[in-house]
Amino acid sequence: METLKETLKLQVIQQLNLEDIKPSDIKDDEPLFGEGLGLDSIDALELIVLLEKHHGIKTINPEDGKTIFRSINTMAEFIVNSKK
Amino acid sequence: MKIFIGAENAITPLGNSVEENFQSLCDGVSGIRLYKNAGFNKEDVYLSKTSFDTEHLFQTLLENCLEGLKSRIDTSIIKSPKTILILSTTKADVQNHLVDAIEISTAKLKEQLELFQPPIVVCNACTSGLQAINLAADFITAGLYEHAIVVGCDVISDFILYGFQSLFAISNEPCKPFSEHRKGLTLGEACAVVVLSKSEAVYQQTPMQYIAGSSSNDANHISGPSRTGEGLYRSVVKTLAAAQMNSNDIDFISAHGTATVYNDEMESIAFDRLAMNNIPLNSFKGYFGHTLGAAGVLETVICMQSLRKNLLIKSMGYTEPGTSKALDLLIENKHTDVNTILKTASGFGGANASLIISKR
Amino acid sequence: MSFITSYCRISKDKCSVNGKNILLINSDSELEWIKQLYKSLQIDYPKFYKMDVLSKLAFIGTELIKKNSDFNFYTDDDVALVFANRHSSGDTDLKFNNSYQQELMPSPALFVYTLPNILIGEIAIRNKWHGENLFTVAREFDATFFQNYCNILLSKNSQACVCGWIDAMEDNLEAFLFFVEVSDTSKLNLPFTSKIVANLYKA
Repeated sequence: METLKETLKLQVIQQLNLEDIKPSDIKDDEPLFGEGLGLDSIDALELIVLLEKHHGIKTINPEDGKTIFRSINTMAEFIVNSKK
Repeated sequence: MKIFIGAENAITPLGNSVEENFQSLCDGVSGIRLYKNAGFNKEDVYLSKTSFDTEHLFQTLLENCLEGLKSRIDTSIIKSPKTILILSTTKADVQNHLVDAIEISTAKLKEQLELFQPPIVVCNACTSGLQAINLAADFITAGLYEHAIVVGCDVISDFILYGFQSLFAISNEPCKPFSEHRKGLTLGEACAVVVLSKSEAVYQQTPMQYIAGSSSNDANHISGPSRTGEGLYRSVVKTLAAAQMNSNDIDFISAHGTATVYNDEMESIAFDRLAMNNIPLNSFKGYFGHTLGAAGVLETVICMQSLRKNLLIKSMGYTEPGTSKALDLLIENKHTDVNTILKTASGFGGANASLIISKR
Repeated sequence: MSFITSYCRISKDKCSVNGKNILLINSDSELEWIKQLYKSLQIDYPKFYKMDVLSKLAFIGTELIKKNSDFNFYTDDDVALVFANRHSSGDTDLKFNNSYQQELMPSPALFVYTLPNILIGEIAIRNKWHGENLFTVAREFDATFFQNYCNILLSKNSQACVCGWIDAMEDNLEAFLFFVEVSDTSKLNLPFTSKIVANLYKA
């Protein structure tokens, strides 16, 4: 799970063009939207692409994205649960 | 100076002339159909597509639509140095020419029509059509040209469809502008043309009058509209002021009404701020789909038919109120005196535009 | 009579404002040239990094013009944005096309930039400018168009125009921006005529 979270942080930084941000800058439970990294609605859609491209998870609709993408923790949990 | 607007024509899935198109609207026919395997994941997608069998649809639509123009005006103006052609498009023939699509198309137009002046291309997202008409009027008023041929054209392509799908903006059923359960837009393709001129004599059929227009930016988000409808509100305020009119003078609003959750809500907020809740209003997107760069010209052309026929067209696809502010959506076609129409459009990049046309 | 009170040129090698070079790009630096330019502005605007190259160029150019002019004078309706280029959003179109052809998933972040007028949106957002805006595509820079259209805008509701020719196609990039006001606030003595604009562009 920890490896997955670290990988996720790298993928998020790369997918969203987050300049000057290293994985160590992103806390596992930090809100990704609003405060924290301050991501927006287009970033949320790119995270849907990330999940499909890197983790083979399809058909997430943007409404579910609000809970799935709350933090690195929730993203990692979702990925692990999807593979069960 | 009066600016005349007329000689309108349109080619869409609903007809190869503006008359055919308007008849389809009167008959309550929509051009939206289900296309199998059209989507990125090979899913079926609702689209409004023409039935021309050609790989060069963009250029074919342009040529055919402009050919249809010739019986509606004094054709000697086409090659005149006092005439400017303004093309409104978002992606032109991007499917066949990933780069240079616009350049290729305008070169062909100039050659085919033997235009004296090189065409101007307005490429400003979904407000391109209205902005092209406004630009034409501005140029004629300033005395730079005497006539302007304004043509709007866009065609459906994988590029555009996959893009909107990536935004989750495409509805899985025919679009339902301003409705409670609207789920997004339906893409369409079309070509429409209209001629603006300082001279009434160039038209075969009585023209309408272009009164005023403007644009304004939301300054909020590059793809999401302003929550306060700021840009649309400000554009309509400017347009009304330039027209020396107020909302009481408007008989009908042809709104943008793409049927995305956010756009239609934004428009209702803007029209509410303008105290226009009780002016008959529709969206044409339920008939034609969202025709992007063609939309502003196409929908203005249809408005002109409404002026000619004193007939307002219902808002196809509208089921029940779905915006926080009330609007007077037309639920059936309405025979009534129509003298002055407000047309609005909004688009990516915070773009908003509006114009007013009247019977002369 | 109106005046050009500020102008700038940006290319991969250098950046000049009002005819004076203000930054030479350090080709040995690890930092990409456009990021060097952004850092030289000394502003904090993380959204910059999400922009496509057209928006980045237009953003930097407008920030440089702002440093050389006093915009406090203008309300949020006053400043018109008039931009044009040759290749529309072609550079980003290639990347977006690639995202679904090669990388197997269309990218929403790229798709939203497959319209050239988005650069106008980025400038408007940054500055909260609600004025007139227009993007046109033309085969080459047409100073007469800018003169004609800006004069029309200034005769109506606009009090000033930020104008630009911002073009990008793979390795070929150019940005030329200029600011038009109704009085010569910077005393550059550059009346706003198509001839002068054309000369500044060619210089």
